[in-house]
Amino acid sequence: MKTLKKVMAFLMVVTMLLSIAACGSKEAQNPSVTSTPVDTGTNEPAAVEKDPETGLTPMANRTPITYHMFIRDPGQAPDPNNPVLKKITELTGVTIEFEFLVGDLNEKIGVLLASGEYPEIMFGADAKKFFDAGALVPLDDYIMKYPNLRAHYEPFLDKMRAGFDGEHAYTLENYNLERIPSPIFDNGGAGFWIQKAVIEEAGYKIPRTIDEYFQMINDYRAKHPTIDGVETIGFAILCDGWRDFCLRNPALHLLGSTNEGDVIVDKTTFKSSLYQITDTAKLYYKKLNEEFRKGTIKADTFTQTFDEYIGTIASGAVLGMFDQHWNFMQGENVLKSEGRYERTYISVPIANPGVTDAYLEAKSGTISGTGGITISTKCKDVDRLMAFYDWLLNREVQDYLQWGIEGKDWVRVGTVGKKLTDERRAIINDNNKRRDLTGDTLWQYTPKMQGLYEDGAPCGPADSEDEFFAGLSEYDQNFFSKLGIKYPAQILTVVKNPAYYPVWSFAIEDGSPARLAHAKLEDVCRKYYPQLIMSDPAKYDSLWEQFVAEVKAGKPEDYLNEVDRQIQLKMEAAAKEGN
Amino acid sequence: MTVLKSKLNMFMMSLQRKLKPYLAQKSLFFMIIPWMIFTFIFSYLPLTGWIMAFQNFRPGKGYWRSPFVGFDQFKFLFSEPGFWRSFRNTLGMSTMNLIFSFVFAIGFALLLNEVKNTYFKRTVQTISYLPHFLSWIIVCGLISSILSSSDGAFNNLLMWLGIIDRPILWLGEPKYFWWIVAFANVWKETGWNSIIYLAAMSSIDPALYEACEIDGGSRYRKMWHITLPGIRQTILVLLIMNLGWILNAGFEVQYLFGRGVVMDVSETIDIFVLKYGITLGNYSLATAAGIFKSVISIIMIVTTNYLSGKIEEERLF
Repeated sequence: MKTLKKVMAFLMVVTMLLSIAACGSKEAQNPSVTSTPVDTGTNEPAAVEKDPETGLTPMANRTPITYHMFIRDPGQAPDPNNPVLKKITELTGVTIEFEFLVGDLNEKIGVLLASGEYPEIMFGADAKKFFDAGALVPLDDYIMKYPNLRAHYEPFLDKMRAGFDGEHAYTLENYNLERIPSPIFDNGGAGFWIQKAVIEEAGYKIPRTIDEYFQMINDYRAKHPTIDGVETIGFAILCDGWRDFCLRNPALHLLGSTNEGDVIVDKTTFKSSLYQITDTAKLYYKKLNEEFRKGTIKADTFTQTFDEYIGTIASGAVLGMFDQHWNFMQGENVLKSEGRYERTYISVPIANPGVTDAYLEAKSGTISGTGGITISTKCKDVDRLMAFYDWLLNREVQDYLQWGIEGKDWVRVGTVGKKLTDERRAIINDNNKRRDLTGDTLWQYTPKMQGLYEDGAPCGPADSEDEFFAGLSEYDQNFFSKLGIKYPAQILTVVKNPAYYPVWSFAIEDGSPARLAHAKLEDVCRKYYPQLIMSDPAKYDSLWEQFVAEVKAGKPEDYLNEVDRQIQLKMEAAAKEGN
Repeated sequence: MTVLKSKLNMFMMSLQRKLKPYLAQKSLFFMIIPWMIFTFIFSYLPLTGWIMAFQNFRPGKGYWRSPFVGFDQFKFLFSEPGFWRSFRNTLGMSTMNLIFSFVFAIGFALLLNEVKNTYFKRTVQTISYLPHFLSWIIVCGLISSILSSSDGAFNNLLMWLGIIDRPILWLGEPKYFWWIVAFANVWKETGWNSIIYLAAMSSIDPALYEACEIDGGSRYRKMWHITLPGIRQTILVLLIMNLGWILNAGFEVQYLFGRGVVMDVSETIDIFVLKYGITLGNYSLATAAGIFKSVISIIMIVTTNYLSGKIEEERLF
C-alpha cells in the first residue's frame, strides 16, 4: 500500500514537472520562430530597409501578433506555409488566422451572438446585428489617422455612418470603392447561363427571351442526347439551402431589374413590390413546368445538394441554368482545366419581350454602407491592425499581393499595362494553388485597391485588359470574334442603380415583424416553386392561386413597408450628400 | 422543568433515530455530491435561460435590460401555423420511429436469439450494430444516393422488378418523407437497440425452455410464451423512457433532407427552434417553443410511468 502511494506521488510530481516544462518550452519557442530577418524586440524605425526579394518596406513595429478573422463565405484557409503570407508576416509581424464559414451563415452568426465570443475581425457577417449587440469598435478615428485608409474611405464616411447610428463608422467596405473603374469583362453575378457549344450549334445566335433560350437548349439536346457519355441535362435548378436563389430569383431579372434581392423596386416611385407573384413569375414557372414534362429539367434537380450540382456542371452535361457565376465557378473551372472550353458558359440577356435586360451593375462607387470588414471589441490591438491595413494599401504591397514579383510573375505591357506570366496564370486559375501560393486570400479579405490607378495601371489581373486577352483560350477568342464582341459582358446591358441599391444589403431588425414576413416569403416560395414545376399542367392555375394566397397570408406588407422606409432614408441621405 | 427536559430528550432521541440511516450512509452521500453539483450545473442552471421566453430578448441587452413581455411569445407561438405543423411532424415521425424501432429491434433480437451458432450470431450482431456509429451526415449521403432518381440503386431495383416504369423522386415527395426517416432510423439503430433485449433474454432461466420442450412446445411457442414475457419488463422500462423523448423526432435527417419541396412534412420542433432562434435571431420565441416541448415531455413521462405502475407494477420512479 505504501509503495503504491509512493509511486502515485512520484507520478504526480513527474506529470507536474512535464506540464511546466511543456508550458515553458512554448514560451521559449515563440521568439525563435519570429527571429527571421526581423530583429527581436527592437521596434526602432532604424531597421527600415527594403526587403530584397519583394522591394517592400517593412513596418516599423514588427512584434508578432495574430488576429483571428471570421469570413462569411465558405472556403478554405491558406496553407500556413504560403510563401506570400509568410513574407507579409515577416515584414509586419502580423498573422491573420482565417476561419471560413461552415454550414449556414445565419446560424453561425446566431451562435456567435448568443455566446458573446466574437471573432476579432469579421468579414461580411451582418454588421448590424453585431452593432446592436454592442460588439463593434467605431473606426472613424482610426481611418482618419492613417493616410492610405483615409484616402480610401474618407469620401464614403457619411454613408458608412448612416448605415449604423449616424455618428460612427463601423465597417471597412471592401467592394465598389474603385476610384477609376476598370471595364466589366464578364458577368460575375446572376444570369441565365448557356453552354457555348449550344450557341455555336445555333449559328452563334444569342437568345433574348425564355422561349428562345429553351428552344436552343432543346434543339441541342435532341441532337446530342449524351455529352461525352453522360446524359444531357437541359436546365438545372439548384435548390439547396440559401443557394436556392437559382430557383427563386429569375422572375426579378426577366422584369428587367438587377440583382436586387427578394423584392423589385420601381425606379421612379421607389416603392417595392413582390416579383414572386407577378404574371411574369407565373408564366416563367409554367414554362419550366412544360420543360419538366419534356424532360429538359430532371426531377432530382430539386433534391440535389450543392456538391452534386457542381459535380453535374463539371461533367459538362448541363446545357443551361440560372445561377450566379461565383456560385458555379468551381464546376466551370474543372471544365477549363480539362480544356473543354466549349462546355463553359456565357451569360445571355434573357428578359421579357420588349424589356431591356439588366444583368450588369455599373461600377458606380456606391457602397452598401453596412457590408465589409468589422472589428469586434474582442480585438487585441485595433490600432496595430489598422496600421497593418494602412500598410497593405500601399501600391507596392497591393501589386505584390495581386500580381506577385515583376519578371517572375508578371511582365509589363506598354507603359502601365501588365499581364501575368503563363506559370503565374496557371497558378491563379487553379483554386488550390492560388490559395496556397499567392496572397489572394489576404488581399480578398483586407481593404484593397480595385479598378485602375490614376496613371491607368490596373490594380489587379482582374482589372487588366491586357491580362484578360492574354488569358483567353483559343476557343474563346474564336467564339467571341464570331459573336462580334471583345468580351462576354458586351452582350449584356450595364445598368446604373440609384443610391439606395441593393435591397438585399438592408439590415432588417432581428425578431421584427418585417424579418418574420421576409422569412415566410422565402419559405413559401421555396415550397411552392418545385411543386408548381412538377405539377399536373391542368392543376397549375389552381396551385398558383393557392401559392399566391399563402404568400399573402404571410403578411409580406410588413417586409415591404420596412424596405420602403429604408429606401427612403437612404435616398434622403444620398440627396443630402449631393450625389 | 423536568417535563420539558424529558420532552427535549425524547425529541433528540427521535431525531437521532431518524438521522441514523443517513449518518450510517454518510460516505455514500459524500460520493453523490459531485454528481449533484454536475447535474445542477448542466441540467438546472441552464433553466435560468427560460426567462428569455417571457422577454423580448436581445443579445446586446442581456437578461437584465431586455423588456419583459409576459406571455406574448407563447401567444405568438400558438397562433403560428408553422409551429403546429412542426409539432405534428415531430409527433408523427417520432411515433413512427418508436413503433418501428421497437418492432424491429425486438423481432431482430428474437430471431438472433434462436441462432445457435455462437460465431455466426456474434458476427451478425457486430455487423448489425455498426451503423449506429456512423454519423447521420454519412447515412443521409448513402440514403440519398440509393434513393436517387438518376441511377439510384432502389429505383433501378424496382424498375428491374417491373414494379415501376419510371424512377420515383423519393426524397422530393412529401408522402414518402416520414417513411424514409423511419426506415433510416431502423437501418441505423436496430442492431444497437437489440443489444439490451438480447442481454435480457440471456438472463431467462433455461429451465423454463426445458419445461416447455418436455410439454412439446415448438420454437414459436417458446418465443411467444417464454422469451417475450421474459423481456416484458425491459420492454416496458424502455417504452417509458422513450415516451419521454417522444418530442425528439431527431434533427439531422430532417435537417439534411429538408428541401423546399418537402418542407411541410420535414420541419420538426427542433428545426423550428433553430430557424426562429438562431437564424432569425428571435431567441425568445425559440425558448418558448423549447419550454413547450419540455413541458409536454414531462407530462408524457409522468403519465406513462403512472399508467405502467397501475397496469404492470413496473415503474421507473
